[in-house]
Amino acid sequence: MSNSSGWDIERALDAMQASGLSRRTLMKRGGAGALSLSLVGFLAACGDDDGGGADEARVIPKGEISNRLTFANWPLYIDVDEETDERPTLEKFERRYGTRVRYVEEINDNVEFFGKVRQQYEQGNSGGRDLHVVTDWLANRMNQLGYVQRFDKEEMPNAVRNIEDAVASPDFDPEREISMPWQSGQVLLIYRRDMTGRELRSINDLFDPEFRGRVTMLTEMRDTVGSVLLGDGIEPEQATKDQALAAIEKVQRASRDGQIRRFTGNEYTRDIARGDTVALLGWSGDAVQLLADNPDIAYSPPEEGFMIFTDSMQIPVGAPNAFTAQKMIDFVYRPEIQAAITEYVNYVPPVKGAREILQERNPEVAENELIFPDLSEAHNFKSFPEEEEAEIDAAFQRAIGA
Amino acid sequence: MSILQRRRGLLPFLLLAPGLAWLLLFFAVPLYYMARQSLEEGTIFTGFEFAWNFQTYTDALSNYDEQLVRSFLYAGAATLIAFAVGFPLAYAIAFRGGKWKNALVLLVIVPFFITYLIRTLSWQTILEDSGVVVNLLQFVGLLGDDGRILATTAAVIAGITYNFLPFMILPVYASLERIDPRMLEAGYDLYGTRRAVFTRVTLPLAMPGVVAGSLLTFIPAVGDFINAELLGTPRQSMIGNVIQSRFLELTDYPTAAALSFILMALVLVVVLAWARLVGTESLMGVEAR
Repeated sequence: MSNSSGWDIERALDAMQASGLSRRTLMKRGGAGALSLSLVGFLAACGDDDGGGADEARVIPKGEISNRLTFANWPLYIDVDEETDERPTLEKFERRYGTRVRYVEEINDNVEFFGKVRQQYEQGNSGGRDLHVVTDWLANRMNQLGYVQRFDKEEMPNAVRNIEDAVASPDFDPEREISMPWQSGQVLLIYRRDMTGRELRSINDLFDPEFRGRVTMLTEMRDTVGSVLLGDGIEPEQATKDQALAAIEKVQRASRDGQIRRFTGNEYTRDIARGDTVALLGWSGDAVQLLADNPDIAYSPPEEGFMIFTDSMQIPVGAPNAFTAQKMIDFVYRPEIQAAITEYVNYVPPVKGAREILQERNPEVAENELIFPDLSEAHNFKSFPEEEEAEIDAAFQRAIGA
Repeated sequence: MSILQRRRGLLPFLLLAPGLAWLLLFFAVPLYYMARQSLEEGTIFTGFEFAWNFQTYTDALSNYDEQLVRSFLYAGAATLIAFAVGFPLAYAIAFRGGKWKNALVLLVIVPFFITYLIRTLSWQTILEDSGVVVNLLQFVGLLGDDGRILATTAAVIAGITYNFLPFMILPVYASLERIDPRMLEAGYDLYGTRRAVFTRVTLPLAMPGVVAGSLLTFIPAVGDFINAELLGTPRQSMIGNVIQSRFLELTDYPTAAALSFILMALVLVVVLAWARLVGTESLMGVEAR
């Protein structure tokens, strides 16, 4: 969930300041809320029909490749040819299958997107969308509510063969039948080496009184709480509700004491670039850019292990071109296609073989441990039962003052 | 009764119609939906259902009392500071501005040609930890070596004051400017001291402006969330921040709607109390005495 009070405008400002390059940094996760709330979403939310039953998702029937496809994704989350402004991956798909792809960058925030589509999905109407990309916890919810279709894995040989082990079987979808990773990212320690005077290695360094008031954490509950749990030596996959609540209390106390300056979405990039913060939790895609812009900024995957988040593709119920959407998912699991996306977006690709291709083509990207981390150190947040999760969420929101 | 007369009878209603329609469509209707929403039960994931759920109100009050109190304190402080800064300024422009009057008033407004959000973001840069302001204050010893301004209560109150200052200055200026100088002369002719003339002539005549200014500053300031968001930390978070994130980010519509109503009610109480205190004439802008 992206609860930051992240500001589209604030990010747009970043983009203006840093010109072309920071486009990748621009938003992605971190939640946009405020200024982009759509009227549709609001009206949809005003409706008061009750939630639907979670029937077993229907498997997508075999069919023909259609001539159109609508793909809803987050901004700046696919490769763009800077000269022509075209999206090469989509062009290749169009050339191969003869399908025109309508690519809509309409997702700024998981909850906001959910609010926007809920009523349509509830009626079995995808609003014309054939594919959407949401963070895994929401992918799980979508499935529980019966809003998505089940893949026919026979039609997805590349996806079956090439999916990275680390993201292949999350607890909510062990066979990846209703969600297929688009990109993953790491939650990292990012710090100003010139201001800390030493290398930071541990999540607990964020609680060091030396950095009082110059630390930020993420508004994304799973990223912050998962990291703090790791710092306390608890595996987030195994954590109990009480342990999660204790971690939240630790965060809350640090915030009350003034140790934590604030909780952010992507806005932390501005704070640390200015030197207002010296150590923080941030996302790997941003770190690539921050490092390129400022040699004093350093990062480290915490020695206790790092949280990984995954945004996944899903095919909503009522998708007019579900069979073709499935082909699109499979298409981006071709290593050469994925390599082109990775080169541009700087997140962690969920596709085996992409790295090998990049080793030839762009060794700098292939050797970048922000993009190709040691996935054996990666941790996922546990899917708690609905009520416990609501309690944890509420406690976290109170802790961050939302 | 002639047609003409009947028309004349309808005329006031015709004149009222656009305003009433506007009020109905953009105030009464949304208010109704908000009220309804505040009594709903559920979450975005299970759907919302209308349930006369008044508990949302009590929960909201007990969970967010801190932010509510803080909002009123910050808004009150900002209004006082705006008055302290704005009144002398308005006075100077009105009585000493001479031919520069209009230019000076324009200068008060000019910064507001730039959008609110961007101005507040620039304050982030001005007040940054290694910026000029902080360095200067550290140099003269007003701020400790690792002291800071950004992300403190002072920054938030200062930001609110700055952002709403013209709403204080302009009405005060308008009422000061209207004062007939002969009134002041009469005061002096009656052997009034400067102080007596100010407190017994100028100030009462300026009261409508002061009251209007304080309301125009206080009311939006209570609901403000941008300053606390950009210049503060969670420890400075105001009720506007909670409503904002409940509505737009957490999609907890009932709580957000309930908090909006609570805020509205509290603001109403404060405004009524203030009106009692200073007299309704000045509230309504009727020339005092």
